[in-house]
Amino acid sequence: MFNLLKKHKLMSTNGGGTCYVYPDAPATPGLVTADITFSRTIDMNIPLTMDNGTVVNMWGFADGGGGMGGGATYPSAPMRLTQGQIAHTTLDVGMMWMHTVHHHGIEPAHTSDGVGHITWDVYNGTYTYQWKPSHAGTFFYHCHTNTVLHAEMGMYGAIIVDPPEGPGTLFSGGPTYNAEVFWVVDEIDSSWHTLAWNAGTCGGDVGLNDLNPDYFVISGIDGSGNSAMSAPNIAATIQLGQKLLARYICAGYYPQLLRFGGGLTGTIYQSDGRPLPNPVTVSQIRASAAERYDIIFQPTQTGTYLIETDILDWITGAVLGTTRTSITVV
Amino acid sequence: MKRRNFLKLSSAGMATAALASTGLIAWTPRAYASTINKTFYITDGLITQPDGVDVYFRGFSSSQSVLNVPGEQMIVQQGDTVNITIINTLGHQHAFTIDGLGLSTITINAGASKTLSFTAGAPGSYFYLDPSNAPYNRLVGLHGGFAIMPSGSSNTLYSGSPTFVQQYFWLFHDIDPAWHTAISNGSTPTTTYKPRYFTLNGLSARPPGAPGAGDPNIDAMVDPRSSLHGHIGDRTLIRVLNAGKCQNSVHVHANHMEWLTENGQIRSDVWLKDCINLDGNMGKFDAIYPFEPPPDAWPAVQTGVYPMHLHNEMTQTAGGGLYMFGSLTDIYFE
Repeated sequence: MFNLLKKHKLMSTNGGGTCYVYPDAPATPGLVTADITFSRTIDMNIPLTMDNGTVVNMWGFADGGGGMGGGATYPSAPMRLTQGQIAHTTLDVGMMWMHTVHHHGIEPAHTSDGVGHITWDVYNGTYTYQWKPSHAGTFFYHCHTNTVLHAEMGMYGAIIVDPPEGPGTLFSGGPTYNAEVFWVVDEIDSSWHTLAWNAGTCGGDVGLNDLNPDYFVISGIDGSGNSAMSAPNIAATIQLGQKLLARYICAGYYPQLLRFGGGLTGTIYQSDGRPLPNPVTVSQIRASAAERYDIIFQPTQTGTYLIETDILDWITGAVLGTTRTSITVV
Repeated sequence: MKRRNFLKLSSAGMATAALASTGLIAWTPRAYASTINKTFYITDGLITQPDGVDVYFRGFSSSQSVLNVPGEQMIVQQGDTVNITIINTLGHQHAFTIDGLGLSTITINAGASKTLSFTAGAPGSYFYLDPSNAPYNRLVGLHGGFAIMPSGSSNTLYSGSPTFVQQYFWLFHDIDPAWHTAISNGSTPTTTYKPRYFTLNGLSARPPGAPGAGDPNIDAMVDPRSSLHGHIGDRTLIRVLNAGKCQNSVHVHANHMEWLTENGQIRSDVWLKDCINLDGNMGKFDAIYPFEPPPDAWPAVQTGVYPMHLHNEMTQTAGGGLYMFGSLTDIYFE
């Protein structure tokens, strides 16, 4: 049997204390020279202004490329690379908190999988995750420390793996596309957004079983009104006859129903970074937490098509909120 | 009214009883139909949750002196004659059936016993449960996993399915202790359902360093009914069932799953998924975890440890906090 590292650390500082974390930042086993490197640092103060003027604090990974550091966005900066490249993700964490990077849907050695209880939560140093994506498609990365809170706080970003043909082809032997949008749909419970990074880890009821979302976002924008209806990289304008690729990530915890208006249909070619044996053409997609769908649209009529995503209660199925964007065909 | 045989069991005591006769499922196919006799005792008691709170449960138990939640998993073969006897040790009427097989429901009066007999039909994964006073008797613990293997087959889910070499049940549950208390008092819950505990095959996880961590009677991460162990090529069927009310997203690391069925229906295509939706209220699916070398490792690896967890992450908590004390387990590439 494989020997698990069983280090853990209990600390009584920092609010309610920190329990069941596994701080370390060791050398990466089998480290080689990378073809591409993504440098990430931590930003725990990302103001997100909602349509009603409320500012909700988000956390994220800042793109530290070039050693400049700097503020992160929500969602965090995407990682885009080519299938077969050896990638490094360097995560630099100080002594204030612990975090990891888990590349969701990417399946590396467990030492590069970013799961604290199996390896370590990065603390007081830099850890390098090494991975080599074998499949093209849509993935995402997120923190896997006190995940219930850290992912809700926005500590995630997209991973796009292009095939050797490059952007414009979804996967080798798969469809091509002329334009691309990202629909990263999430729900936010603002009452969770004042908690400390280690909230609840030593016990005590901090409400992490009970998510009551009051904001609904698409790719980092309040999606419940018109803000995302024409936002770049979310909404699209294409020419009649062109093919639009939507990379849809169900980034929240609650189920979602993605609906295409105006009689529009789209064809799902991939899900979770793997091609479907037979693509399916649909007018709506029911999605569950952390699923991804790659959808090609080739509308046959000009016009503006409404794209809505309902966020559904995980118990009752009631619609809690809806995000809206659009596809315009000219 | 008969006084309840009220058991006070820690989760350790409960699971020890369960594990005595279960564990990784060994299945040997037969060329002939057999007669399978099984007795369950309806018992009740308290199970201590990770935050120390005692919660009331009922179960289909292996004896009158234990409480098994869920009941012991059963596998039979298509064509077998199955006789399941229910002995109701409690002071109120209960019922029993297996969902999805078109069977009748038997009712068992307080202190009485009754037998449900049938010929095992369509291969697949099923719930047995007490369907009376729905959903409350199911939610309070009267449920378990039941499988029918194709006749003479050791390695298929249904005729012509992708093959496997070993099989597990992952039975998820979510628990609102206020509802369990109301049910124990004979009342109908009136509060909004707010689950506070989340289990896999009846256990919550315990992260390394926590009390009970590494104890297969307490810790879902190492429970041999739940934790996957395999070498490269040990294709593993997982029969995934949801006794709770929450809609879940089952996520595995290191390999994608081959998604074979959804709520009892064979899917027309096998999709490769790292997350599969699991509906609430007895949703189910079957999938194969292939134990292939993790495809994105560099250098390549063939061993390692990875988690399975639900990605609706509220399920990873207990009592409103305690991340990693919910419904998760580990996957060992040996």
